[in-house]
Amino acid sequence: MAAVPVARGDATFQAAAARVAAVAFLVLVAALVLGRPSLVPVAVALAGGIYALELAIDDAPLDVAAPVVAAGLLLAAELAYWSLDERERAAGDPGQGLRRAAFVALLGVASLLVAGVLLALVDDVRARGLALDLVGAVAAATVLVTVLVTARREPPQG
Amino acid sequence: MTRTGGPRLIGYSALAALGLVGALALRRPELAILAAPFALLVVVGTREARDPEVELELAIADERTLEGSDLDLLVTIRARRPVDRLELLLELPRHVEVVTGDTVRSVGLRAGEERELEYTLRCTRWGVHELGRTRIRARDRFRIVGWEARGAETKKVKAYPSPLTLRRLVPPVETQAFAGSEVARVKGEGVEYADIRDFVPGDRVRSINWRASARRQSLVVNERHPERNADVVLFVDSFVDVRSGGRSVLEDAVRAAGALATHYLARRDRVGLVGFGGVLRWLQPGMGSTQRYRLVETMIETGVEPTYTWRDVNVIPARVLPPASLVLALSPLVDPRFVAALEDLRGRRFDVAVVEVDPIPHVEPGRTDVERSAYRLWLLEREVLRYRLERLGVGIATWGDRDLETVLEEVRTFRRSTRLARA
Repeated sequence: MAAVPVARGDATFQAAAARVAAVAFLVLVAALVLGRPSLVPVAVALAGGIYALELAIDDAPLDVAAPVVAAGLLLAAELAYWSLDERERAAGDPGQGLRRAAFVALLGVASLLVAGVLLALVDDVRARGLALDLVGAVAAATVLVTVLVTARREPPQG
Repeated sequence: MTRTGGPRLIGYSALAALGLVGALALRRPELAILAAPFALLVVVGTREARDPEVELELAIADERTLEGSDLDLLVTIRARRPVDRLELLLELPRHVEVVTGDTVRSVGLRAGEERELEYTLRCTRWGVHELGRTRIRARDRFRIVGWEARGAETKKVKAYPSPLTLRRLVPPVETQAFAGSEVARVKGEGVEYADIRDFVPGDRVRSINWRASARRQSLVVNERHPERNADVVLFVDSFVDVRSGGRSVLEDAVRAAGALATHYLARRDRVGLVGFGGVLRWLQPGMGSTQRYRLVETMIETGVEPTYTWRDVNVIPARVLPPASLVLALSPLVDPRFVAALEDLRGRRFDVAVVEVDPIPHVEPGRTDVERSAYRLWLLEREVLRYRLERLGVGIATWGDRDLETVLEEVRTFRRSTRLARA
């Protein structure tokens, strides 16, 4: 995923981005080897950060590669978490691994579709001049409220 | 079940928030598009999460087993709602190992589906073991939210000591009044020949020894020794346990006590038990298979409870130590309180014999000169202790690498020689 923005940047950007990408890779490897799930979002954020930096430097109009990058980052995170889940070796049902792989692939496809729809929507919104800031603020607030509500533990039933 | 947030919940929420904040800060909607799948996954995953209401049921094949024997355990899992991945961890107590089946299993369940997981377990040591402690963790396919619970149902299994074959036992000096398998020293109706005496009116005709009568020219009759039963009290030392390499003297002592109890009861002797240690346990002498189960179930609860209280035989009820009973002690002879109790019993003219469960193989001689000197001194002290007990007339033999049969033979030999010496 880091290769997409790195390939599009200039030589200076490529040198810096390659270093950040290497760090992101090492953080991901550390997460998998040491069994630290908290390092996975750090690695994904670093890879996403390279893309964000490239966008900020380039300052081009809407980037059509965004859905691909989004789907790729989600797949990377899902595969990393799946690998960490499997650290606790548990004898499972036959075909469990294949079913999980199919679901993760489905998530990747769904995220690609959702991001593609959003990209089209944003393009349309920009064309009509609606306040993108408002939309972004509402979305951020929704996510934070959802986290606060769902992260609260429920008492055991019965 | 307790609802918990998985690592994905925090991670994806953080990434979504970071993407949205980045989009606002850099005014790039592409970053919001990057964040959207993560945010959507969190929202969908938390909304879709429902308590699967998993129920567990345990069934064991038998509540009683022998140590070293296999035991079947069946765990039935039922879920009211679908579970994509349910992980079951079977926590086994010490001295129980799994023979077949994995202690960590993961299954997928549809709504209302029931699955049975079979395990074969083995109790490696006698005792009461609590089986069935479980931990379960259920997750749906999004893995955003999980559900955890501990299984409440457990089953107790009693593992009896493995049986040892013994052909001969330590015979008591005195017998009791009831019929049994021990040849008594008194004379009466029996099979074993004792003596001859002159005929007196009332003697049975078939008791007449015609050859002796012909030699004496007067009637003489045979006297015989009757077979009587005996009272045996197994005296197990639970003050201290010496262990190494997965073996311990207390475990061996209880195994020997179980074997001795079984064989004495088979001879119609009355067998009692005293677990003499931090916790005093006793069982009055009795006969039959009921007494066997009582003895074994009392023995398997034997454990070491550390205490500094001085105990002597006065704390043992008199009915547990009948007069003229054989007190057969099983002890490593490490704690002075137990040794003092043996000497006290001998002083009260009880018939005492000791099987010394050897603690020496479990003790390291030490690395430094001081430790090695202390070890040699300890060995010498044990020699003195054995001599002291033998001087009191207590037959004592050490059970280490030899089989119990050989050790009991050594005790029998000593007791025969002391009987001859007394005579």
